[in-house]
Amino acid sequence: MRGYAATWRPRAGLVAIRRSSLARNRAAVAGLLILLPLVVATIAPWLLSGQLPNAQDLSISLQFPGGEHLLGADKLGRDVWARIVFGAQPTLLGAFVVILISGAIGIPLGLVAGYYGGRVEGAIMRVLDALLAFPALLLAILVVATFGRGLFTVVVALGVIYVPAMARLVRSVTLVQRTLAYVDAARVLGFSDRRIIFRHILPNLVAAVVVQSTIDLAYAILDIAALSFLGLGQQPPDPDWGSMLSDGRAYLLQNPWPAVSAGISIMLAVVSFNLVGDGLRAQLDPRERER
Amino acid sequence: MVPVLLFVSFVTFGLVRLAPGDPVLIVLGGRKVDPATADTLRHQFGLIGDPFSQYVAWLGRAIQGDLGNSYRLRQDVLGLIGDRLPLTIQLIVLAIVIAVAVAIPLGVIQAHRRDSAVDYGGSLVALIGLSAPVYFSAIVGVLVFAVWLGWLPAFGSGDGPLDQLRHLILPSVALALGTIALTSRMTRSAMIEALSSDYIEAARAKGLPERTILVKHALRNALIPVVTVTSLQVGFLLVGSVLVETTLGLGGLGSLITDSIQNRDYPVIQASVLLLSVAFSLLNLLTDLLYAVIDPRIRYA
Repeated sequence: MRGYAATWRPRAGLVAIRRSSLARNRAAVAGLLILLPLVVATIAPWLLSGQLPNAQDLSISLQFPGGEHLLGADKLGRDVWARIVFGAQPTLLGAFVVILISGAIGIPLGLVAGYYGGRVEGAIMRVLDALLAFPALLLAILVVATFGRGLFTVVVALGVIYVPAMARLVRSVTLVQRTLAYVDAARVLGFSDRRIIFRHILPNLVAAVVVQSTIDLAYAILDIAALSFLGLGQQPPDPDWGSMLSDGRAYLLQNPWPAVSAGISIMLAVVSFNLVGDGLRAQLDPRERER
Repeated sequence: MVPVLLFVSFVTFGLVRLAPGDPVLIVLGGRKVDPATADTLRHQFGLIGDPFSQYVAWLGRAIQGDLGNSYRLRQDVLGLIGDRLPLTIQLIVLAIVIAVAVAIPLGVIQAHRRDSAVDYGGSLVALIGLSAPVYFSAIVGVLVFAVWLGWLPAFGSGDGPLDQLRHLILPSVALALGTIALTSRMTRSAMIEALSSDYIEAARAKGLPERTILVKHALRNALIPVVTVTSLQVGFLLVGSVLVETTLGLGGLGSLITDSIQNRDYPVIQASVLLLSVAFSLLNLLTDLLYAVIDPRIRYA
């Protein structure tokens, strides 16, 4: 049994705070460095790949990485690097739109629920909680299977499914803001509720929403990839990480590179948003900063 | 609880009915049939009348345990699910056992030796576990442990109890990774908080052995958020099992759902989504009850 003196640590002192927030910043910088090429691939994929993602050349079918083809070729002889680069857009842009949709619906709902309270809040939150009775991805699978597969349905479905989480966050922050003096002051000045909610409270939510959205982006990427892995997202022949991984299973033993490259791309994207989100939280959330 | 279940059943039923395409034509698979036979089929599947009365009739039968017949397999849906369910439950239980057995000790050690190599290593593992999609971990697992090392079987569910367990190792570890990540993170931060509180100082002042302080005093208090996160994770494991089963060709409930979606086998989709959502809601309820067991303060509040 170890003695008391050896393991006892004082509560984190100033130095420890500095160090741990520095370590977090370093992690966030690493996240941004991974993110940069992903963003370039999303906006301007042709800058990163000279090849076209759908160009087939059966003579190089299942070629291993090397030479002209950085990551080799898939079964149909398509350049894997090009498909990875061009496949960034459906997943990343899709995830971004998912967050936009959930914010566009969830933020106003959360604001109204938190600001007015009472019956309005009860009604809004009850409907949203009912949505949470479903496991999110399962509901997405059901919706997409119903309304037809494809990236568009996937993104809209996930956007709506992400609303409760966003609304709950906004509501809980609004509940705190509502009790602060500046809201009373605005009321005394005779400002309308609308003006108080959108011009005064909303700006104070930005930090919390940005942090949450960054981390939600990571989840959205995972969910979009999962749906397209199941064949419900981006349809062939267009490149997409989830479906590449799914296709790659068939010839995993001959050439694992297409599947593994797609899987690693998904992981890197998720890791980068998680790291950046953690870093932002450390910077923006005062409670976290004290830890 | 009851309103939630009603809502879930309504949405499940409604969504499936909104799907384009006549189920009867799907069942017939393009074969030509005279209108009278089609009507008989429609009647048999409970597709008569307006959607709302269809729903009420379906719900009435569902409460009595009759969830209809599969369009595709012409088999009782409950029986079909009953055949597939044990495998999924085994998979999930095994994943939870693995996750808890790894994550809680890991989190405790991380909190105990904060900022050490073990701590950073654990955080890195957690980050990877959190970021790797289940199906990708499963595929990498197959590549490493089945193809390269040859230790474990790659696909399928095996024959006989021991062989089945061997087949379940890869999928359940893949499934457990995400839970390990979240649970160890949660354990670490809850333990750090617990270890910095006054009662720990008091316990130390009494000269209690470190192990007793860590396990009996700190962990007991840290467990509340940990239990919350872990039991909420079970819901994600339900969904994760769908992906893992599809990836590794396991014949559980998850692959039944994906198969049924491919084939538009509505009764099976409805019943399995309903079942999973009910399980999900019950788990959330169970979490609340678990709090009371772990934290006596809640019982008296």
